[in-house]
Amino acid sequence: MKKFMALAIAFALSLSFVGCGDSSANESAGSTDQINNEASEQEHSDNDEKLKISIAQFAEHGSLDNCREGFIDGLKEEGFEEGKNIEIEYQNAQADMGAANQIAQNFVNDKADLICAIATPMAQACYNAADGTDIPVIYTAVTDPVAAELSNENKLSEKNATGTSDKLPVEQQLKMIRAFMPEAKKIGILYSTSEVNSETAIEQYKEKAGEYGFEIVESGVNQSADIPMAAADIASKVDCITNLTDNTIVSNLAVVLDAAEKASIPVFGSEIEQVKNGCVAAAGLDYIELGKLTGKMAASVLKNEKKANEIEYEVISQSNVYINSQALDKFNLSVPDDMKESVIEAE
Amino acid sequence: MAITLSILEQGLIYAVLALGVYITYKILDFPDLTVDSSFPLGAAVSAILITKGLNAYLCLIVSFLAGAAAGLTTGIIHVKFKVRDLLSGIITMTMLYSINLHIAGKANLPIFNSENIFSISPLKDYLGGFNTLFIIFLVVLAAKLVLDWYLKTKSGYLLRAVGDNPTLVTSLSKDNGTVKIIGLVIANALVSLSGAVMCQQQRFFEISMGTGAIVIGLASVIIGINLFKTASFLKPTTAVILGSVVYKACVAIAISFGLSATDMKLITGALFLAVLILGNLGKGKKSNA
Repeated sequence: MKKFMALAIAFALSLSFVGCGDSSANESAGSTDQINNEASEQEHSDNDEKLKISIAQFAEHGSLDNCREGFIDGLKEEGFEEGKNIEIEYQNAQADMGAANQIAQNFVNDKADLICAIATPMAQACYNAADGTDIPVIYTAVTDPVAAELSNENKLSEKNATGTSDKLPVEQQLKMIRAFMPEAKKIGILYSTSEVNSETAIEQYKEKAGEYGFEIVESGVNQSADIPMAAADIASKVDCITNLTDNTIVSNLAVVLDAAEKASIPVFGSEIEQVKNGCVAAAGLDYIELGKLTGKMAASVLKNEKKANEIEYEVISQSNVYINSQALDKFNLSVPDDMKESVIEAE
Repeated sequence: MAITLSILEQGLIYAVLALGVYITYKILDFPDLTVDSSFPLGAAVSAILITKGLNAYLCLIVSFLAGAAAGLTTGIIHVKFKVRDLLSGIITMTMLYSINLHIAGKANLPIFNSENIFSISPLKDYLGGFNTLFIIFLVVLAAKLVLDWYLKTKSGYLLRAVGDNPTLVTSLSKDNGTVKIIGLVIANALVSLSGAVMCQQQRFFEISMGTGAIVIGLASVIIGINLFKTASFLKPTTAVILGSVVYKACVAIAISFGLSATDMKLITGALFLAVLILGNLGKGKKSNA
C-alpha cells in the first residue's frame, strides 16, 4: 500500500512538472470546445501560427453564453476564425470562486495571447492573474467596471485590460413599464444579497423611479431557498415585478413567475432570455451584440492597432423591447400603439 | 514553472486554513462548519480595512482576531448552551454570512487600487516573481511554528487530550469545554487569516469565496495525514501543509487537462474517498498483522 501511495504521489508530481515544462503542454490542456476536441491532437507546430484566445466564463447562464457566442462572432467578423488563425480555449467556473481563480491562473500560465473574461468575478480573477504579464484581458458582462476597480473613472484601465459593460438600461425599462401599465404605482424588485451588481442596479432604479411616477419596493434574498417566500410577499405588495440580471433570481425565474401569477401581477424581465421563459416584456440588452462589440475590441488588440489600456470600456446604449404575447394576454396587457412597430417577439 | 508557482501559492494560502481544520477535525474531533464563513470573514475584514488605508500587515492581525471571535462564538454556543457540535458551527456560519456582508458593505469589494502585503513587501525588488510566494511562505511558516509550539505547551497537551481521551482531561480537573473553546478559537483564527491572505492575493473580496472552504480544508488534512503518515520525521502540521499543496496540484492539473468545473466536485469527492479508503486499508493490514 505504501508503495502504491508513493507511486500515486510520484505520478501526481511528475504530471505537475510536465505541466510546467513547456508550452506544448498547452495542447494537451486542450480546448474544451466540443467541436474542436480533435484539435488537441494536432501537432504543435500549428500553435506557433495560431493565436491562442482563452475564454473564461464565470457561470453557465443564457446571457453569458450569448456574450461568448457574440464574442466569437465579433472576432470572426474581424478576420479571426477558430481553427484558421486562432485557437479558442473555453473554461467555465460554474460560479465557483476557487475554480475561477484557478482557471484564470491556468490561462496566464499557458501564455494565452488574449483572455476574454465573462462576468465580474471572472474579470477580476483574470485581471489579477494577468497582472505583471503582457496578456491583454478583455472583459464583458461587467455591470460597473469602475466599481469593480477594473477601470478608472476615465474608462481606461491601469493595466492591460478593457471591455464592455452590461449596465442595465434602467430608464428604458421604466419607460416601457409605464407605457404598458399607465396606472401602476409600485414596482417590486427581488435581488440576492450576494450579487453586487444587483445593488448597483437597485440604486439606479430608485434614483430614476420618481421621474416616471413609480415607487420601488425591494426584497433581498440570501439563497435560492428564500425566493418562494420573498416572491410571494413582494407580489402581494406591488403592481408588477421587474427583474435585474441577478443570477440567483434569474435561475429561479419560474418560482417568481408562479408567485406573481397567483397575485395576478405581471413580471417584466431584463433581457430576452427571461421573456422567452415567461416574463411579459423587457427593455433588454442584446447580449450577442454586446459580445460582438467585445470581440471587435479584442480584434483591434490582436491586430496591434491599440493596446487594451488605450481603449475605453464601452457601454452598449441601444436596447430593444422584447415581448411575450402569450404572457401579455394572460395579464390583459397590450402593446401600446406607438411601440407596435419596434417591439420584438421573443421566441 | 509558472504553474508550479501558482500551485504553491494557492496551496500554501489554503494550508493555513488546513492547519485550522486540522485542529478541529483531527485534534478535537469537532466537525466545525464555521470555516465556510470564517474564511470570507478574514477576507472581508482585510478588504474593508485596506480600503480604509490601514497597513496591510496589520489587516492580517485584525482578520486573525476576527476569526478568533467567530471561533469563540461557535465554542460558546456548543459548550455553554450545549448545542450539538455540527449545529453550533452551522449557526455561526449562517449568522456570519450576513455579518460578512455588513463588514464589506457589499458582496464584492475590489482592492486592486490599494496596497497589499505583497506590494508593500520590502523584498519585492529582490524577489521579483517569487515575492508573492515568499510572503505566503512566511505566513505559513509562522502559523506552523506557533502552532507547533502551542501544541507542546500544557494547554496544547490538554487540547490534544480532549479529542483522544476526554476523561483524562476531566481527571486532571480541567474543564473540557474551555479547552474545546480554545481549540475553536485558534482554528478559526487561522482560517480567517488564510482568507485574509487569499483576499489580498486575489485582490478582491467576494461573498461566495468561502463556499466549500471546509471541503478544501478537510481534503488537505486527510490527504496530508494519509499520504505522509509513513514519513514519521514529518510533523502532522507539515503533512497538512503538504497535503494542501498536493490537493491544489491535483485540482490545477485536472483543470489544465481540460476537466470542466462541472465535474470538479465529483472528482474532488472521489479523490477524497480514495485517500480515505486507502488510508483505512493500510490501517486494517497493520492491525491484522
